[in-house]
Amino acid sequence: MKRRTFLASTAAASLGTQILGGIPLKAFSPLELMQPEAQDDDRILIVVQLFGGNDGLNTIIPVEDPEYYRIRPEIAVQKADAVSVLSRVHFHPALAPEGSYNLKSMFEDGRLAIIQGVGYENPSLSHFRSSDIWLSGFNTSDPNKRLVDGWLGRYWAETLPGFPEQLPSDPTAVQIGGTLSMLLQSPRGDVGIALTDPQKFFELGQGLSPDLEPMSDATRYGREYNFIRLIAEQSDRYSTVVKQAFDKGKNAISYSDNGFVQQMKLVARLISGGLKSKVFLVYMGGFDTHVQQQNEDLTGLHPYLLETLSKGIGQFMNDAIAQGFADRVVGMTVSEFGRRPYENGSRGTDHGTASVQFVFGNAVRAGVYGNSPDLSNLDANGDVRWQYDYRRIYADVLETWFGGTPSVTASVFEEGILPLGVLQKPTTVQDAYDGKVELQVRLYPNPTSGSVVVEWQQSSPASVSIDLYTSTGRKVEEAYRGVVQPGPVSIPILPTVSGALICNVVVNGVAHHLPLTVVR
Amino acid sequence: MDRRHALQQLIGWGVRPSHPTAGDMQMLQVEAGLEPYTQPLTLDDVLHLYRRLSFSASMEQAAQQVGRQASDVVEELLGTGIEQQPASPGAWVNVWTENPRGADLQTRAAIERSWQTNMAALGSWWLSLMTTDPSAVEKLTLFWSQHWSTEFSFDNTYSVPQMLYRQLGKLRQYRLGDIRQLALEITLDPAMLYYLGGTYNTKGAPNENYARELMELYLTGLGWYTEGDVKEGARILTGWRSQRFSDEPAPNDRYETWFDAAAHDMGAKQFLGQTIAARTEDNNTAFQVRNEEVLRMIEIIVDVRSDAVARFLAEKVYRYFVYSSPTDVDQTMVAGLGDVLKASNFEMRPMFFALFTSAHFFDPQLRGVQIKTPMEYIAGLLRQLGKTATGLSTWASRMDQAVMDPPTVAGWPGYRAWMSTNTYPVRREFARTVIQGMSDQELGTWIRSIDGHDAAESFVRTVLQLLLPVAVTEERFSYYLQALLQNAPAYDWPVILDDQAAAAKRTRDLLITISKAPDFQLC
Repeated sequence: MKRRTFLASTAAASLGTQILGGIPLKAFSPLELMQPEAQDDDRILIVVQLFGGNDGLNTIIPVEDPEYYRIRPEIAVQKADAVSVLSRVHFHPALAPEGSYNLKSMFEDGRLAIIQGVGYENPSLSHFRSSDIWLSGFNTSDPNKRLVDGWLGRYWAETLPGFPEQLPSDPTAVQIGGTLSMLLQSPRGDVGIALTDPQKFFELGQGLSPDLEPMSDATRYGREYNFIRLIAEQSDRYSTVVKQAFDKGKNAISYSDNGFVQQMKLVARLISGGLKSKVFLVYMGGFDTHVQQQNEDLTGLHPYLLETLSKGIGQFMNDAIAQGFADRVVGMTVSEFGRRPYENGSRGTDHGTASVQFVFGNAVRAGVYGNSPDLSNLDANGDVRWQYDYRRIYADVLETWFGGTPSVTASVFEEGILPLGVLQKPTTVQDAYDGKVELQVRLYPNPTSGSVVVEWQQSSPASVSIDLYTSTGRKVEEAYRGVVQPGPVSIPILPTVSGALICNVVVNGVAHHLPLTVVR
Repeated sequence: MDRRHALQQLIGWGVRPSHPTAGDMQMLQVEAGLEPYTQPLTLDDVLHLYRRLSFSASMEQAAQQVGRQASDVVEELLGTGIEQQPASPGAWVNVWTENPRGADLQTRAAIERSWQTNMAALGSWWLSLMTTDPSAVEKLTLFWSQHWSTEFSFDNTYSVPQMLYRQLGKLRQYRLGDIRQLALEITLDPAMLYYLGGTYNTKGAPNENYARELMELYLTGLGWYTEGDVKEGARILTGWRSQRFSDEPAPNDRYETWFDAAAHDMGAKQFLGQTIAARTEDNNTAFQVRNEEVLRMIEIIVDVRSDAVARFLAEKVYRYFVYSSPTDVDQTMVAGLGDVLKASNFEMRPMFFALFTSAHFFDPQLRGVQIKTPMEYIAGLLRQLGKTATGLSTWASRMDQAVMDPPTVAGWPGYRAWMSTNTYPVRREFARTVIQGMSDQELGTWIRSIDGHDAAESFVRTVLQLLLPVAVTEERFSYYLQALLQNAPAYDWPVILDDQAAAAKRTRDLLITISKAPDFQLC
């Protein structure tokens, strides 16, 4: 895999003692060594955090549901005001601002997936607990369990060779603004940096490496000392790399003058300039719309936020297309919860549960996943029931986008999670040559009361895994591991669990999700 | 609990383990507990106490306390709560601000600009107080300010600085008292009523925002109430109003809370298993609802959940003043502090007193383990150097601690979140600016305030003792001595001292070198 070689050479470069073609690597600067690499695996993830809890019901409008209009007499968006695509999907009009590429136009162009009902079991209505659950990738209802690191932090800390003794030449993750999010923290330290202004970062960051060696980690003092020492080192090292990318990069379109949109502009410029970061984290606050979220004329706080979000992502995408890196970028929104379906008396909405999220980019299987929230079947607290575990999108990112395996996913989340299937892996000639293509896989009998046979036609030798998941995406059974030869394949499996399941058949790394019903 | 059976597991885990998880790396538990620290205070003890309970000390301030008992010094530092409030930051605090809504664009911009200006003035004023007042008053006020956090800038709108200034006064006044009193004051505080939507909370369709945070963030923490309690709590809190602008009703005068009886839900409420009785028009008055519902609600929380409240507040105090790591909280200490709080019927002063006079607080293992907050960093350095500066609120913002403007309703996440590739370079820049900004004469005065300044070695040792929280190795000491002497022999130092410019230049170099040390960020 190309990424591994790229990372391995980074590690070798920072060791400084390896030999390349008989010449000690020390003779090269790490940057020179890096240039020819990283063409192949240059996939980037952008995480857009909407803090405060975005109101999903006023984002994608359930115009056909009379209950929506009954429980939201003041702040509902009327059908006539919503912006529809094919009369089936109804966007809040603020998501379709004129004069800018936006989420609605991206949906029409097949660059946007709308995932309804994203949430998790036993929802927390606390901003902080729920944000921690989203960012850590651990869903625990035990409030005393401390969530201290993030799913992307853990993934990259495991994936980067020699981390953290050896830092990659470019920061693995870049957060625009603020202090580094839990998302990018790992048990071995932060896998990213936070920066606001590359020019200032460069001016202030240079020469900050401490002259002092690390201390022993045996004392609390030593640990905190070493933490700060590494920040100093990262400030020095990455300020130059970031500045080089910033100076070399450009934006091909003009962006709106707004904090969040400008964050997206900076991300585009850094990517354009060749910064080899894998993850960018951008942040929008203000979604905690308890009060006056929308005026009668559909202006106000929440519409403003939606418009900003739509412009930021749309203009970024437009830029990415213009500069030719759109195929390398996918993004996703995360927000700790949606709002309560019924409005409160302050023209606002209180904390709720499951909500709609967006996944965007050229590699997205565009469309709407799941149904509009069922407002006639709310939970005991009057909140929306969830349809998709939020980690199914993450699992997609890990397995489809970053090239991880189901076992990597299981180690990151400490349980098996089935990818949602919202991302498609770009198929290269090499992939086709390696037999990494989608197949026509069939299950029979289905429904079954006993065993099931998994069948397909195989063109080259392949390694196969078959696992069973619940319909919510949690892994319940490992059904098969093995290698198959070219020709018709027929693998009998005997599920021990029953109910509505998803059978995940992975052939040479390509996943196939098949619904399976087991009745006993 | 047997503190002796703590084990230390060291795994070769690289230079930067940030979040040890169970089994990975347990720190040696600190054996000292809540028992009083009775040794006469050494200079290191005093400096440690001032770093945590105030904003560091100048050498002169610290020297005066050496040899005294911790209990005597802490008694004085905590204060009484009935001190006079400091002089206000300016006449603007009593000027009623106009409503920008509906005004033309220019007027609107001018009004919002005046808030920005006043907020910067408020911030710099407060940071100056932190720099100059050696007591614990402002530190404790800051502690409460980040606990009952209120943002200046939120949801595309602003808290009016005049209101935040008044809130700060309450936090200062009630910092040591009964937690129920403080909770009541803040629950009905105008800035808080705006910030968490209380001023819009109306019967029939209550707004849950404040009721939830009162429990989750301010009194019990998660897990001690149901969603039903949040809903009932929101009903209890209906009807309280405030005003931000000169064109809004202000029956109790500007920036004061008032009660809109028609908006209050008079029905009975079931809250944490207790009943708050229904009321009639006759007793639906500000006075009665304030006492029989709002205060009663707070009393119910503290009574019914007394263990949870005591523990929650004790842990918050412990992490703020002793060690912030979320995975390394000394639960025995937290339980002990919670017991003190319950024994005092939730008066805060005895708990603060017990903590800062405890053997645990003075234990060497817990020195230098706190990452300085930006305000500790700014006010501390100025205090240590005997310097004043302007524009301090801008510096604090750039270090991600904008005065009274935390990122979320939970305040600042704190601990390692203070330090990033974003903020660390700004901290270094601040130190450089302050140190380079000291004139030869100012530095001359400062040098003379250091005991033993006329011998190079004792001068450097004392400066390190003042500026770094833990004694450095001899190797590092030589490095800093060299930063001062710059190849001159040590016996030349008295001669250099006679040349004010030369001594100042070398001292500046020494200070800049020390400010680059990672532990310059620790206290």
